[in-house]
Amino acid sequence: MRQTRVLLADDHTLIRAGLRLVVEQRPEFLVVGEAADGREAVAMAQSLKPDVVVMDIGMPGLNGIEACRQIRESLPDTQVVMLSMHSDEGYVLRALKAGARAYLLKDSAETDLASAIRAAQEGKSFFSPAVGKVLLEDYMRTLQRTGQEDSYELLSPREREILQLVAECKSSKEIATLLNISVYTVETHRARVMQKLNLRGVPELILYAVRKGIVS
Amino acid sequence: MKTASTESNTTASPEFDSPSNGLRWVLPGAFLGLLGLILISGVAASRTLHQMQQQEQLARRDVADRARNLSGLYFSIEGYNEAIQRYAACPAGKPDPVVRGQVDQLTADIGSLLNRYPGNREPEETLLLQTIVDQFARHRQLYTTILVMGPGALRGREQELINDRILAMRQQILESSGELQAWSSQQTRRTDQTLLAQFGHLQASLTESLSVALMAGLVLVVASMAYILRLERQTRGRYRELAQSRHELERLSSRMVDVQEAERRSISRELHDEVGQSLGALLVDLGSLSTNLPDDKTRIRERLENMKSVAERTVGTVRDIALLLRPSMLDDLGLVAALEWQGREVSRRSEMEVTVESEEVSLPDEYNICVYRLVQEALNNAVRHAQARNARVRVMQHDNRIVVDVSDDGRGFQPERTRGLGILGMEERVKRLGGTLTVESAPGRGATLHAELPLPAAAGTA
Repeated sequence: MRQTRVLLADDHTLIRAGLRLVVEQRPEFLVVGEAADGREAVAMAQSLKPDVVVMDIGMPGLNGIEACRQIRESLPDTQVVMLSMHSDEGYVLRALKAGARAYLLKDSAETDLASAIRAAQEGKSFFSPAVGKVLLEDYMRTLQRTGQEDSYELLSPREREILQLVAECKSSKEIATLLNISVYTVETHRARVMQKLNLRGVPELILYAVRKGIVS
Repeated sequence: MKTASTESNTTASPEFDSPSNGLRWVLPGAFLGLLGLILISGVAASRTLHQMQQQEQLARRDVADRARNLSGLYFSIEGYNEAIQRYAACPAGKPDPVVRGQVDQLTADIGSLLNRYPGNREPEETLLLQTIVDQFARHRQLYTTILVMGPGALRGREQELINDRILAMRQQILESSGELQAWSSQQTRRTDQTLLAQFGHLQASLTESLSVALMAGLVLVVASMAYILRLERQTRGRYRELAQSRHELERLSSRMVDVQEAERRSISRELHDEVGQSLGALLVDLGSLSTNLPDDKTRIRERLENMKSVAERTVGTVRDIALLLRPSMLDDLGLVAALEWQGREVSRRSEMEVTVESEEVSLPDEYNICVYRLVQEALNNAVRHAQARNARVRVMQHDNRIVVDVSDDGRGFQPERTRGLGILGMEERVKRLGGTLTVESAPGRGATLHAELPLPAAAGTA
């Protein structure tokens, strides 16, 4: 079985050492390099072409989000697992917009890192359970205080199905095959979901799904 | 350094004051003295002039008196002579009573004229007058003889008498009175000359006192000018000092903001990098230890879990402190994300719901931190003092300035009365970047904070 090649990027040696320990416990993963800042991470990713980059979001020089954007632009096959201390939606949404597949809190890195790397490598999304919890709390509080309706109730069962599949990073074609409907129908449903939930773009849709606990 | 500068200030002030105190009284005193000098010399001159005028009038009256007296005397003597001649020419034994009466009258007149001649005579004048009196006396002796003998007694010798005696006598008296007149006019000239000399003297003394006053005035003007210039210089110096110390104060307070931010950032980084990362590494190690532990070691596992939860709590606390000191979002994600995060954070922790409306702006770090702290303080006030339920934050970039609005629906306050340290601190930050801050509020009507910051030319397009 082919090993998953992992690049670690964090500005703290201690953290990198801890991450390496966790990753190397699994025989299916191989750590191919360690970068100490965003710029180094981009350079090493371009030369080593790893399958997954595990990246700290706050690094000196070039921060994790910008580094993620650059890596995803030049290497579409390399996935990024974002490591962060914050479960705030500003971070999550920006990480998703930059092209990260997984968002992991550092607190839970030890338990969830392997699952996150695996999910990212397979092109799926992954979020620390605590992130989904915080996002949901924020969402519920805002709804309650502003007196808005939960727009999820407006979606039809088919639309909810599509929402989940899109949030799991499936392409329209894959969804069409899976549900045995035409690509055109999938696109129509997708557009309607976006409109009903007042979302702009896939990252916001994923965020919404995480918030609602549809994906984790 | 601060204490040194205040010390030098306090010692400098009395040094400035002392010399002006003495001069303040000397100058008006000198001015009064000068005025007194001018007044005294003016009064003296006018008195002297008055005296001279009186003297002159007196002299003129004197001269006129003498002249009148003298001419009266002259005419009376002439009349007398004529009357005598006429008397002598009368036919013998028939004296004309009219002529006789005339002679008597004239005699009395001459006597009284001589008596009335002004008494204040010079010795020379008296001598001349005496000559006339003597001549007239001799004259009269002859005439008395004629009068006694009666008219016609001369018998043909009238002509001889007239020619030899009367005319000669007349001539004598005329000459004498002419001399007296000449003396009198000479006297008048002398008086005039004396007056002229006095006047000259007065002129000289007036010129002298005036030039003294002028010189003194000049000295005073120079002294006052020097004094005023000195005062002006002192004032200017003090003003400059004041402006400088104010400038220094501004710089100091602006520097304090800088230092505070730098300090916060370094403490935050230290907490995050050192404490946070060490705890993070500890957590990872504890986790892997617990994972690799054989299943039967439950007690050790329990203790490990306990240690983990303590470490996790500590990580959380350290993170919160670090974020409060310096929000890492500002560095990681930029201003808008940091404001959104702050809004959500306030919403999570308080009863107030915060909405953040902002377009993506790209600003230099000092502007980011300024706007961030403004919003932080305003939201803090809205929660703590105004008990607001909703707050709205708006950040907009217009051309070359950035506009920040924070409004809430709290109970409001009177901005002109309540001016807390919080608002002062905000003003300080805004002023430092050359911007303006206004706070609009009224009791029961919420509050709106409005700040405008001009952007440096390069930042607007960055």
